[in-house]
Amino acid sequence: MGKKPLFNIFELFVLLLKYAKLSLKSILEYKFDRTFITIAIVCREMISVVVMFLILVRFVHIKGWEYNEMFFLYSFLFLSYSIFVLFFAGMRDFAEMIYSGEFDRVLTRPLGLMYQIIASKIDLSAGLGHGIVGVILFTKTAFSVGIDWNIKNIVYYIVILISGAVIQASIFLFASCFSFWTVKTDNLRNMIFFNARRFSGYPISFYPGIIQKLLMFVIPFAFVNYFPAQFYLNKAEINSFWNGFLYLSPAVGAIMFVLVYMFWRQGVRHYSSTGTSR
Amino acid sequence: MRAYVEFAKKAFQNNIAYRADYVAGVINAIVMIFVNICIWKAIYEDEQTVDGVQFKILITYVVISFLMQCIYAMDEYHIEYKVRSGAIGLDLLKPMSFSGYIFSYNIGILVFRVVMQLIPALIVSIVLFKMYPPFSLSMAIYFLISTILGYLVLYNLNFIVWISSFWFYWTFSLVTIKDAAVMILSGALLPLWFMPQALVDFINLTPFASIYYVPITIYLGQVPMEEIALVMAKQLIWALGLFIAGKLLWKTALKKLVVQGG
Repeated sequence: MGKKPLFNIFELFVLLLKYAKLSLKSILEYKFDRTFITIAIVCREMISVVVMFLILVRFVHIKGWEYNEMFFLYSFLFLSYSIFVLFFAGMRDFAEMIYSGEFDRVLTRPLGLMYQIIASKIDLSAGLGHGIVGVILFTKTAFSVGIDWNIKNIVYYIVILISGAVIQASIFLFASCFSFWTVKTDNLRNMIFFNARRFSGYPISFYPGIIQKLLMFVIPFAFVNYFPAQFYLNKAEINSFWNGFLYLSPAVGAIMFVLVYMFWRQGVRHYSSTGTSR
Repeated sequence: MRAYVEFAKKAFQNNIAYRADYVAGVINAIVMIFVNICIWKAIYEDEQTVDGVQFKILITYVVISFLMQCIYAMDEYHIEYKVRSGAIGLDLLKPMSFSGYIFSYNIGILVFRVVMQLIPALIVSIVLFKMYPPFSLSMAIYFLISTILGYLVLYNLNFIVWISSFWFYWTFSLVTIKDAAVMILSGALLPLWFMPQALVDFINLTPFASIYYVPITIYLGQVPMEEIALVMAKQLIWALGLFIAGKLLWKTALKKLVVQGG
């Protein structure tokens, strides 16, 4: 679609804010419920944190990883997931858009499709829930694992978190694309995504080679937390991996997004409505 | 009684419709067991044996716990759905006990999960993970009884949470917080013997240990013969106590429903 864009960058940004304002308004309609849901999500996510904490209270370190390093590693998962559901929740719930017929409405508007999908949704409760856990873990550990937080490290940290969010969003959008061909993949996606995330809570060096390979090349969660954390921690075990992996997270995110975007465009071309639009 | 058996059958059949869900359930359980075993392996590589608790016992603990989680899963939002959709009004008119209906509905799910999830997951676990069999035949029988009691404790606890939908309408938050408490305090994810003493003392004042920890330790033969009657009596008391609490709450809830006009 080589059309001249209808809006310039500035206008698109203002529109993004308007979208955000609308989403927030509908969310904050039920302030009490939303607060409660956020608390519940914090509790749910704290389960694995508490278990890890209790294990480390007892054993002090696992395979050379001590308390602070483990939780620093874990914090990447929560923070990047939080960014993912705050900014890319539309990509996460894209399949839903097709089933409900909402996608038809998106198609008729004079705006980029991907832009609308990303702008249309914010999952504030999950974003805050994961964000709170992530921030707690980060602030408790980031200053006691020997990281010099200079400008370079801070900038790369932000880049890594966004890359992690994009990687996760790409996984979700990839699975959603199958709904263009009316194949339901939600179950499979959730299973693959959340199990991969479960593995990633601990250093990948704990697992047999095949699981490590899966987490690096198939569902690349290793680039969401393990390699980014190792960039800062530089633990000796990193020598068993190629050194370049430490810097690859942004590239993995970008490549995945481009590939999934191309696949998604194929899907849009193939799309025929479910006819359920209200 | 026949009606309730039919409810259970219905729930069983409903579940069969969601094939993908139960395959996912089996795979999730196996992945969780595997992740946990990898972590314990990593820990034990550091310290050989800890507290005299053999690595293999721990593996068995993990496997049994996740298999129990498979079958302890209930339909957490059934009552909430009934209350919100108003279907509960019709259900109450029917000549049946509503709580009896909910119980048989969940028993249907339980049977479904035993057949479709527990058995495949158990076979895979026995092949993949080198777990111990029950400590002895009598312990195996006590384990089964204790697991049933554990189920009843959890069910009655859940029932109280479900009934809260008469007041809250959306119970996602409460259910999730309850789940978090159960997961940690019942020893489902980490045996209580690894926890700090103060926490264990607290847990002993709550029903949580009765749900997972007691049955699993019986399986492992860690509860001496003479104490078995005691721990099971404790389970039974918790199940009954929570059952009565649930009944009382149910009565209040009904009044609340009448006030609203259903």
